[in-house]
Amino acid sequence: MADPMNVVGRPTPRLDALERVTGQARYSPDIRLPGMLYARILRSPHPHALIRAIDFAAALELDGVVAVLTHENCDIEWASGDRANPRMLFNNPVRYYGDAVAAVAATDRHTAEAAAQLIAVDYDTLPFVLDAEEALEPGAVPVQPGGNLAPPFGALAGGGAAVPGPAVYERGDVEAGLAESDIVIEDHYVSKHHNNAQMEPRTAVAQWESGKLTVWTPTQGITNCRDDIAEAFGLPYEQVRVICEYMGGGFGNKNQCQDTDLIAAELARRTERPVKLELTRKEDFLSIHGRWPTSQYYRVGAKRDGTLHAIELTGYSGMGPHIKSSGDIAGIDFYQCPNVRKTVHTVHTNVTTSANYRAPSYPQGVFGIASVLDAICHEIDMDPVEFHLRNATRQYRDATPYTSYGLIDCIEQGAEAFDWSGRRRPAAVDAGPIRRGTGMAIGAFTARLGLSNAMLRLDDAGTLWLHAGVTDIGTGAKTTLAMIAAEAMEMDLDRVEVVWGDTDRSPYSVGESGSRTTSHTGFAIVEAAEDLKRQLDERGPPGPGEELVAEASPNPTLDGEQRYSFAAHFVELEVDTELGGVHLTKYVAAHDSGRIVNPLTATSQVKGGVIQGIGMALHEELLYDRNTGIPVNPGYYGARIATHLDTVPIDVVFVDTEDAHGPWGAKSIGESTIIPVVGAIANAIFNATGRRIKELPIGRDRVIGAMS
Amino acid sequence: MKAFANLSPATLAEAVELLGAARANGEIAYPAGGGSDLLGMVKDELVAAPDSIVDLKRIPGLDSIRVSDSGTAIGGLVTVDTLAGDEGIRLRYPVLAEAAAAVGTPQLKNTGTIAGNVCQRPWCWYFRQGFDCLKRGGDQCYSVIGENQQHAIFGGGPSFIVHPSDTANALVALDAEFQVAGPNGERRVPASEFFVLPRDNLQRENVLDADELLVGISLPASQAGRNGAYRKVMDREAWTHAVVSVALTLDMDGDVCRDACIVLGGVAPIPWRVSAAEDVLHGQGITAELAQQAADTALEGAQPLAKNGYKVTMARALVRRSVLEVSGTA
Repeated sequence: MADPMNVVGRPTPRLDALERVTGQARYSPDIRLPGMLYARILRSPHPHALIRAIDFAAALELDGVVAVLTHENCDIEWASGDRANPRMLFNNPVRYYGDAVAAVAATDRHTAEAAAQLIAVDYDTLPFVLDAEEALEPGAVPVQPGGNLAPPFGALAGGGAAVPGPAVYERGDVEAGLAESDIVIEDHYVSKHHNNAQMEPRTAVAQWESGKLTVWTPTQGITNCRDDIAEAFGLPYEQVRVICEYMGGGFGNKNQCQDTDLIAAELARRTERPVKLELTRKEDFLSIHGRWPTSQYYRVGAKRDGTLHAIELTGYSGMGPHIKSSGDIAGIDFYQCPNVRKTVHTVHTNVTTSANYRAPSYPQGVFGIASVLDAICHEIDMDPVEFHLRNATRQYRDATPYTSYGLIDCIEQGAEAFDWSGRRRPAAVDAGPIRRGTGMAIGAFTARLGLSNAMLRLDDAGTLWLHAGVTDIGTGAKTTLAMIAAEAMEMDLDRVEVVWGDTDRSPYSVGESGSRTTSHTGFAIVEAAEDLKRQLDERGPPGPGEELVAEASPNPTLDGEQRYSFAAHFVELEVDTELGGVHLTKYVAAHDSGRIVNPLTATSQVKGGVIQGIGMALHEELLYDRNTGIPVNPGYYGARIATHLDTVPIDVVFVDTEDAHGPWGAKSIGESTIIPVVGAIANAIFNATGRRIKELPIGRDRVIGAMS
Repeated sequence: MKAFANLSPATLAEAVELLGAARANGEIAYPAGGGSDLLGMVKDELVAAPDSIVDLKRIPGLDSIRVSDSGTAIGGLVTVDTLAGDEGIRLRYPVLAEAAAAVGTPQLKNTGTIAGNVCQRPWCWYFRQGFDCLKRGGDQCYSVIGENQQHAIFGGGPSFIVHPSDTANALVALDAEFQVAGPNGERRVPASEFFVLPRDNLQRENVLDADELLVGISLPASQAGRNGAYRKVMDREAWTHAVVSVALTLDMDGDVCRDACIVLGGVAPIPWRVSAAEDVLHGQGITAELAQQAADTALEGAQPLAKNGYKVTMARALVRRSVLEVSGTA
């Protein structure tokens, strides 16, 4: 038997790197079909308005225009677009600037654009509300008929009764805990709408042939995208095919099916021609985007010896008119604490609907709780590393053991790699305008197990065909899964061919979300490989024209345990107190993700998450003009997305843990990488300046404001 | 987007004639150098849809830099990147080379011309998002009661845009002269008079008429000992305009400042020269105290809006640091 880790654990370049960098990779926008029409969307110029009338006669008269959709002639529900209220493709009233009002299909892009502008819409503008807390004030304009407070995310996710109300989690007795504490910090933190800003805007190409619908679209889940489309059109699953060969990222922004998929499909159905719908960058920022803004009120108590004793969080998440994501504010679960109460309100507002964005509920929550805990450390003069070693979670919510646990290793090994003891100094010791500081924060993210599928075919040429219903959203999943297959079959990686990204050619997959692809699908591959090896033992290699086929559909579960990945991040930076700038000088990210299948792509994952966190901490925000309800900066330029020059060399440390589950103990990586970043940076800024900045992004205006 | 004609005149006279003819016919024609700003604005419908674009790139003789002891001539079609890398410019006019190097991205510098960079339209987010603002013929400047973090602290009203060009600040600091070609031939405009405040002309940021072109820039002979620097502070490290910048030239005689020129960028609708601060330095030995005094003087009279007061702090620090750095006192 070969070395059990011949392939797994070796830094391996992506199998499709060459296709991607040479332009050969075929993305959805590259799809061009004979007779294809081009579609454009007309969007609301108002944050909230009733449509009294739409007249598109002039648009239809334009040469080349084939079809127009509006809320009057199209009543398709976008089921995955909202979990609290029905959301149609075209809604009346429109509830945010950019809400889709009409779609036009024409023979070319320019005609479609011109036609969209010829559509006359008579709006009755309505008052609007942008801020979650203002939306809950008495007399606030209702964004949805049922009011602005949405049902708790737990109820929505679990399919429970959708009665409006906050999500409440409680253990112990918070009031008593606060009363028993030697020190109590009460504070308020604010995070902003932060755009995913993935490279590829949404594009959908739809084609109907003999009653079967094919949609090429960038999606993080071809199967659930297919299921959503089938549901919208009342089709059996096998009548819908979704293809996503390559995509330019999503970071949670492309979960499930998008309205663009359904609009393209409906236009194609009516015109009996293929239709391509492309969003501009601005439309992509506006249509569904970004981490939800939050307002977080904390009361946190600790004992004089640094033992955390009570955490209360009351939070408000502004979700936009629709609830597409949880709206949770997470991070307090990273700590042992006997008395906890968390109350989170998810609120309808007249802004772009928030999407999932890499660890959707975490970095903003960590910004809050990590800042408050850092303030406690400062008050009691305790080193944050020592505080975290004392208070970091040992069991999930102090009750459920973890399957494997490397958080303390992350803190200790990260601190060592960073030279925390050498670099850490008391707060605000520099006298000049440039002040150096260090900070840290921790993170944890689920490493789910669950239903997945994989099929392996060994052909007579010795090629192993791996069929997996995944899309490589940029993580390198295609390579990782091929490595797992090669390892499990004791074959060379170049003998593995991956068939992916096509619902007609690959089995069900839950989709590329929740940092689960390696764990979920990798587990199925290992199981299918065991079957295939058994067949090989019994029958020998396939003869001419023969194939050996094995499929596995495992659905592993945990009994009384939680499976998590962990992280601890350390940052050193300089604050220019006069120019307001923050310049990172050192960054160490220590991660427990179980066994690392591909150190090359895993390291890239960490770096990518850290860079996104730096942007979120220091300059990125989708900013709304309060007087008009219109965003002023949708796009890469305006939203100040981080560039290469905004980054710093990032040292990545993987700690060794043994986990009994998943493929050889591999846990999760993608989302845990961004979780501690904002908190660590905010704490380092405090350490440098002695000023705690409680609102994101920590731009020059806020730094200078805090110093004055 | 409306279809338009792309016209490629072979001579300057022809270009001016095309612009004039369009105007006479009630048509809209825009001149384009690199086109990096214009095409984006046309696509985003921030300016009236053109009937034609007059592409200036085929006109010979406008893409060279001639540096000599008696002065320097820069063609309007010289790219920003060429300017930033030109050895003569770097040696004699470091403030201009640095300002050019600070522009946007390598792609924008390769495409954009010096004339286009100087004449680019505002990057106020209200203007660029298509708000019906004063600059676009509307009746209000949305920044006044809105998101004015990036807006003017000097010279504002009724519009509070800031001039976005990096090179413009350097050219004002160098006492450049702009050659303007128009239907009545060529005229020369000092850089200090080229840019106009919104209170004087709401629709344009400079004196150019619709059928006039900025075709060249003359710089006076650089004086021995004249040092300069351009310091640009952004809210990310690349591909954006200055929050605050300073273009500074100092003519030093040993430790004593013979002459100084200080122009602030990102703070006003035009490159904002602060003569009173220059006067503080004239004839004086540069010290930390004097630099601070000049910086304080530079920011006297600033009128920040609700959200841009931080620019006063920034600009003050930037002036002080730049004076110390360029004078070698730091």
